Amino acid sequence: MRRLWRYLEGRKLTATLMILVGVGNAAAQTGGWLLVRNAIDEGIVARNEHHLTIVVAIYLGVAAGGWVLQATLIRGLATIGQAIVIGLRRDLFDHLTGLSLRYFSQQKAGWIIARLTSDVDAVSDTLSQGMPTLVSSVILLPAAVAALLIADWRLGLVSFAVLPPALVLSRWFQRVSHTANVEQRNRIAAVTAQIAESVAGMAVVQAFNRELRFQAEFDELNEANRAQSTYVQRIFSVFFPSIEFLGVLAMGAVLYVGAHLYASDALTIGTLITAIYLLQLVFQPLQDLSDVYGQLQSAAAAMVKIASILDEEPEVRDRPGAKPLSRLDGDLEIDDVVFAYGREPVLHGVSFRVPPGGCFALVGESGHGKSTLARLIGRHYDPDEGAIRVDGHDLRDVEVRSYRRQLGVVLQDPFLFSGTIASNIRFAKPDATDEEVAATAAAVGVDRVAARLSGGLEHAVREGGAGLSAGERQLISIARALLADPRILVLDEATSNIDRPTEVLIERALDRLLKGRTSIIIAHRLSTVRRADEILVVENGRIVQRGSERELLAQDGPFRRLAHTLDGGEPELLAAG
Amino acid sequence: MPAYANPVDPPDLGLLPTGRRLLRLWREQWRLGVFGLSCSFLYTLISTTIPFLIQEAIDNSIDTSHHQHRQPLWPYLAAVAGLAAVRWVINVNRRFATSRIGIRIEARMRELLYQAYLRYPRAFYDRHATGQVLSRATNDLYPIRYFIGWGLVQGIQSIMMIVAATIVLVIVDARLALYTAVAMPPITVLALRFARRVSPISRRVQARKGDVTEAADEAVVGIEMVQTFGREDDVRERFGDRAEGVRTEMLRQAGVESRHLPGLYYLPALSIAAVVFFGGKQVIDGHLTLGQFVLFETLLLQLVWPLEAIGWILDLAQRALASAGRTFAWLEGIEPLPEPAQPVHLPPGPLGVRFERVSFAYGGEADVLHDLDLVVEPGEIVAVCGPTGSGKTSLLSLLPRFYDPTGGRVLVGGVDTRDVPIAELRASVALVTQRPVLFSVPLRENLLAGREDADWDDVLAACEAAGVASFAPSLPDGYDTLIGERGVNLSGGQRQRVALARALVTNARVVVLDDPLSAVDTFTERRLVARLRPALAGRTALVATQRLSTVEIADRAVVLVDGRIVESGKPRDLLTAGGPFADLFGEEVIAA
Repeated sequence: MRRLWRYLEGRKLTATLMILVGVGNAAAQTGGWLLVRNAIDEGIVARNEHHLTIVVAIYLGVAAGGWVLQATLIRGLATIGQAIVIGLRRDLFDHLTGLSLRYFSQQKAGWIIARLTSDVDAVSDTLSQGMPTLVSSVILLPAAVAALLIADWRLGLVSFAVLPPALVLSRWFQRVSHTANVEQRNRIAAVTAQIAESVAGMAVVQAFNRELRFQAEFDELNEANRAQSTYVQRIFSVFFPSIEFLGVLAMGAVLYVGAHLYASDALTIGTLITAIYLLQLVFQPLQDLSDVYGQLQSAAAAMVKIASILDEEPEVRDRPGAKPLSRLDGDLEIDDVVFAYGREPVLHGVSFRVPPGGCFALVGESGHGKSTLARLIGRHYDPDEGAIRVDGHDLRDVEVRSYRRQLGVVLQDPFLFSGTIASNIRFAKPDATDEEVAATAAAVGVDRVAARLSGGLEHAVREGGAGLSAGERQLISIARALLADPRILVLDEATSNIDRPTEVLIERALDRLLKGRTSIIIAHRLSTVRRADEILVVENGRIVQRGSERELLAQDGPFRRLAHTLDGGEPELLAAG
Repeated sequence: MPAYANPVDPPDLGLLPTGRRLLRLWREQWRLGVFGLSCSFLYTLISTTIPFLIQEAIDNSIDTSHHQHRQPLWPYLAAVAGLAAVRWVINVNRRFATSRIGIRIEARMRELLYQAYLRYPRAFYDRHATGQVLSRATNDLYPIRYFIGWGLVQGIQSIMMIVAATIVLVIVDARLALYTAVAMPPITVLALRFARRVSPISRRVQARKGDVTEAADEAVVGIEMVQTFGREDDVRERFGDRAEGVRTEMLRQAGVESRHLPGLYYLPALSIAAVVFFGGKQVIDGHLTLGQFVLFETLLLQLVWPLEAIGWILDLAQRALASAGRTFAWLEGIEPLPEPAQPVHLPPGPLGVRFERVSFAYGGEADVLHDLDLVVEPGEIVAVCGPTGSGKTSLLSLLPRFYDPTGGRVLVGGVDTRDVPIAELRASVALVTQRPVLFSVPLRENLLAGREDADWDDVLAACEAAGVASFAPSLPDGYDTLIGERGVNLSGGQRQRVALARALVTNARVVVLDDPLSAVDTFTERRLVARLRPALAGRTALVATQRLSTVEIADRAVVLVDGRIVESGKPRDLLTAGGPFADLFGEEVIAA
């Protein structure tokens, strides 16, 4: 919660003002009843109609004032609350975008998104809805007690006799209902998760005749949720009537004591009547606070989880004094790089150097370190030992952003953002003109893909690129990289789900993209391998063989074995045909 | 045209039919309902009696200026305390009973929906997004629960309370009752207006929150792209805009609250003022006792909440009826896949598959399969090839009867699929979908999903053939590793291999593989293809694929273009024939 204070910076004055407004509001509510007392004693009992009229007029004025104050309070607290929320949300998001890929690969995406959304929403709801209740109740409770004491200290003391059990009851309710509510949320979450899984996998549920099994599983969870809801309601059903009961008891006690005092002329009848209503004002905040308590608890729990992200140190960030890079020639040097995700190194001392404009291919089975190397070149991680240098600068000494803007990446399963084909191409260079985008699209053949789709380049793309084939996504991501005009390119070749005509389009697009740039290709096809100046065979985090295709094929080594299985050759079929 | 074009998207039910159905559900809980209503009635009686007793106590025992002798106070107080205790018991029961009705009906409707979901045809899931289907059975039920569990009874009780209080007030002093009721109409109007204004805004708040989720989701899932291209500022700006949108709506909501809630809180002051002023004058004139004066005030204050509640209840009723109208429309308007009237059982032994002049279209759209004929002999493996969108997946989904053809028929073992009991057909046809679905249970249970009593050695053999054996032992708990959100996330290729093994474990005599190895890397694919063929021996298989290396497991390949088979033959013959198959896979294209 202390973190939230930070966002109050510059709003402390408004916050203080709001507390004053809250005090004024409470004064209006309790003061109104003191005026009623005056009206009864000085007006009605004293038979002074003139006085009665004046006091009633003042009473209405006070109520009107209270109205305005409460309206101000609701608005003011919402403004402050939302300012805090938006500050928190922005900071959290900014912080996240600066964290390394290691963090994102360790945490599930759903978990991170929940922090940005449902957790911040929990804080937000508490601040904007719970806060007005909290502030008014916290102020109103002592104010009502004070008013009661002012009206008559003896009656005030009587009410104190009922207050402790009421406080104990509230405390019990808060504690029990909190745990019960947490459990309730878990159970409904379990039901939701089960339905979500069934719906998402319905094809398989039905295809494998699993309906009865799923129905049984659901019934169990649904019943558990129902039982817990019933338990929660039982707690609620006991608490609120109990507070009501205590209220009546308090009133009875006040009447009893008050009657004696009145009989001995130690008390006016107005005071006695007013005390009954002031008591209501003591009990009402107790109920309201109990209502808000659950909200406060879940907001606090949400803050703890949010803090766990904010406390995460970004792994890759600019060193003090990091220099921005000017336009690169594209000399890329990997110098004895060792790297581990956990304890086991995945790269053991890898070294090579790509001259400006050179094209190197990395081949080898998946899981042997090729993609890790690509990510190190993208500076998503820093090497544990050794260094990666561009044009002689150690990557750790340059501004990350200035380097990445000169780097192009085409991934095996490229991610497309929701928007249009054009907006996805423009992603890497937002200020590109429509003509530039169209020209780039034409250069890699995206225009031919787009022509088949409604809207052409303005065809709507759903998040993740659903609705487009893998090949089409790949083409768009190549266009994206080309438009960015990078100096260094990292390419993870597509392997699957691409029909031959699209593949041909992609090959041509690559020719265009690679021209004049330094490139590292993780290759799966012989046709790509042929394009490289040099081939590096990666096995178990080491480069075990390197050379041109012809040199490597001539040797009896790992490459020859790999080449046999590399796509494009289709040795068995061709041999048979 | 029928009343609605789409059989899986019926229109919402109207107000009256929805009300009737809700009433029917309520009647299932009639005991609790009658009990709750009786409690409400008693509660109202006691709640008007207590102020009346206090009035008597004040007039007869405290302020005795009107009477000669003073009665003892304690009997009144004892009666009040006694009634309060009785009211406590009644109130606890009233709340508990009515809320339980809501909870039960919520659980019941969820159960009905879920049962229906399990029987709905694929077309339903094509039409409705997962989130929508999910929220219909979760969030959308809450208004129904609160309306039935709280609103309905509270509404009836509000009316009882208003009637009872009015009767008492009119009996005591009709004219004063009229004056002092001055605040009641504005409170009702304000409460109704607030309920009406705030609900569209809170819906908008939810929608804006959805936008934030979308922006967050995209940035988090696409973080590698964002960081790689150094576009952090853009996504921050986009996210910031969305967050700003939530703030605007939240502040708008606070605005509406600030215009209405304080009014609800302070308007009763008008009535209090009226009692003090007019009632006070009457007391001075001796027409009213102080006790009656207190009675007026107490009863008026007691009326505030029932009046406010009416606004909330009407709003809740609207939302509950709308939500229930949608739910009942789904429950009653969507036909599950029909079981055959005269079921025919599949013959024993290997099953052939035959498509006879099959046409197919998704819900009213253009045909994706045209008059298609295809015969797969028992035990034969046929690869279905063709460019994206040529109808491969549609063709395969006819076999387990995810859809029925719009023309022609599909025969398995010589029997029309529509004549076979659905469960029997699906037990005989194993399917591997394009995007493999695994469940959040241990790997072992995922593998056994199609045949729970399978011999573990058979499962291991299937895992060997499908390439699961190469990674499963290295998972944290081996074959007992929990899969999914709360467990281990497998890669796309690993998931495909598990789905493949799961299909091989079943006894199914027909195996349908929809691009089963698309996410598996080339090297692994080669190894798997070699092992898969023997694993499929004795079964009839249809394999859709984009890769020539997967075609290798087939005896025969057919090429599908625009929903028609344009070529058929042995893969190696087709490759040299220079037809559409060669266009798809051949090396010649590169030169072109």
